[in-house]
Amino acid sequence: MKALRLFERHGSNITFGIIVFILAMMPVLLMMGVVSGGSTILFLGKCISFAIVAIGIDLIWGYTGILSLGHGLYFALGGYAMAMYLKMQATGGHLTDFMHIGGLTEMPLIWVPFTLSPGSLLLVIIAPAVVAWIVGYFIFKNRVKGVYFSIISQALTWAACSLFIAMSPYTNGNVGITEIKSIFGSIKGSANQGNMFLLFYVSLIALIAVYALSKFLVERKFGKVLIAIRDGENRTYFSGYPVSRYKTFIYVLSAIFAGIAGAIFVNFNGCITPSQMTITYSIGMVIWVAIGGRGTIIGAVIGAFFINICEYNLSSGSTVEIWQYIIGVLFCVTILFFKGGIVGLVRDKVPSLFKKV
Amino acid sequence: MQTEIVSKEELLAKNPAPIKITQLSESVLDINHVSVCFDGFYALTDVNTKVKRNTIHFFIGPNGAGKTTLLDIICAKTKPTQGNVVYHPMYKDPVTLTGMKEYKIVWLGIGRKFQVPSVFVNLTVEENMILSLKKGKRIMDTILRKPKKEELDNIDATLQKVGLADKRQWRAGALAHGEKQWLEIAMQLVQKPEVIMLDEPAAGMGKPETFKTGEILKEIKKDCTVIVIEHDMDFVKQVADKVTVLHEGKILMEGSVTEVLADPTVQKVYLGRGGE
Repeated sequence: MKALRLFERHGSNITFGIIVFILAMMPVLLMMGVVSGGSTILFLGKCISFAIVAIGIDLIWGYTGILSLGHGLYFALGGYAMAMYLKMQATGGHLTDFMHIGGLTEMPLIWVPFTLSPGSLLLVIIAPAVVAWIVGYFIFKNRVKGVYFSIISQALTWAACSLFIAMSPYTNGNVGITEIKSIFGSIKGSANQGNMFLLFYVSLIALIAVYALSKFLVERKFGKVLIAIRDGENRTYFSGYPVSRYKTFIYVLSAIFAGIAGAIFVNFNGCITPSQMTITYSIGMVIWVAIGGRGTIIGAVIGAFFINICEYNLSSGSTVEIWQYIIGVLFCVTILFFKGGIVGLVRDKVPSLFKKV
Repeated sequence: MQTEIVSKEELLAKNPAPIKITQLSESVLDINHVSVCFDGFYALTDVNTKVKRNTIHFFIGPNGAGKTTLLDIICAKTKPTQGNVVYHPMYKDPVTLTGMKEYKIVWLGIGRKFQVPSVFVNLTVEENMILSLKKGKRIMDTILRKPKKEELDNIDATLQKVGLADKRQWRAGALAHGEKQWLEIAMQLVQKPEVIMLDEPAAGMGKPETFKTGEILKEIKKDCTVIVIEHDMDFVKQVADKVTVLHEGKILMEGSVTEVLADPTVQKVYLGRGGE
């Protein structure tokens, strides 16, 4: 019973600790030969980035009740900033092939910062933050809410995606930015396993930092204000809170998380394409949070890992065609019957099961 | 209260003349010739009245008389087509409320309770109260600042006043209807407002609960001005200092409870109907 009470109070932190421990053990298991194939680490690295963006979506949707269907935009902005820096590392600051093909003779202005210094990596955070601030400031100031906000966020993402495809001399269009190494050098092949492990652990630390910051925020009065905005926006205004400022703040923060996630993703993926900016991709992120359990932070982490691990194992071979249906049905069932997702299910059912035993 | 007296004296010593004038203003709210027009329909027509300091001022009238609209005007939820509302904070210069942001009006000391009990259902009673404290509304405050001891004491005392002290850890959504109403009143009180507006605080309550609400209001009156919208005439008789009767967006009559009840026109348009 003592253990149960401990779990009730600190369940999410304990669960997170377990997830981190398992992840941290993976490279060790790989070295020992228990797990085979370097691609597992690459895949888990991508999952870490997905968990980070999911935490951001949980803050804005699960806590504040603003459904953003366009976080792929911020994910991709972070990703492109990272990829552009890495590309410049690869070419040594010279024009890339696609720029030549596009007829450019000089380095385009948007690429210049990446040739100058590693400080340009700050754009991973700055670019999504500035775009999110501009979007959020005007939308929330004008009290656009609910489904209207979702539609606008979707449209913006779509517009940005089209823009990136159209500006192919600058972005390499549909192909995206490819042939890049990770920030710690090449991670391909067993010779570069050390680089891969380093990258993996750095990403894991980033996940821990994002989780800890989010937990800190939601457990402070700040988190209560977010819940208050979700449950009664009007009442929150008349309790004296500048609601639109809070919304803009949390929107920018979640965009920054998405940007960081995108940057990590690029390192493991080795390329970035506009498909990370599509609506399908953005909605996918929302589904992770819904299934994991919104409004809990840990739910976002669980959902991101759970769905992606399922997809990794199921979307090959005979189930590849029905995978999209499975995830669709799962999403509908969650929304209709299990609003709390996996975490809600555990939180509501497990204590009573224990009591019966 | 202690600090306010000190600050008053200091202020008077520094700058006696102008402050004397504003501070002695007998009314706390001046509603100046307010009209509101929704697509050609006049919800309020030339409403002109004053609310006196430390009184319980009732606005009564049949449904659609414009009572809630009037509260919306005061706290800037709705913009008037004509006229304005001027607020006289204690020891400060008067402020025109019309056109201000809602949360800034709250910062000035005007609290509002809505018709439908609107507490934050997923937070505990205590968290609801902490969110309503007067200080710490900015983002950085809510992240870094913890409520001070005297603020927590204030919450304690206020919860005692409305009888919710032993339910502080309850989820607000689990409270009974009447308790939600009291919690929402308590949330206004803890901000130490100068004016508190209550839209049907006794709606859906039984007689004993209504009576208790009345006693709470009398207690509140000592520290601030109370504006109430209510239908229950027993409740009005119990606590009202002044009553304004609204009818079809206009002021029909104004006066003490006995004067208003004795008026034949009021009886005809309002009290005669169903004997509410």
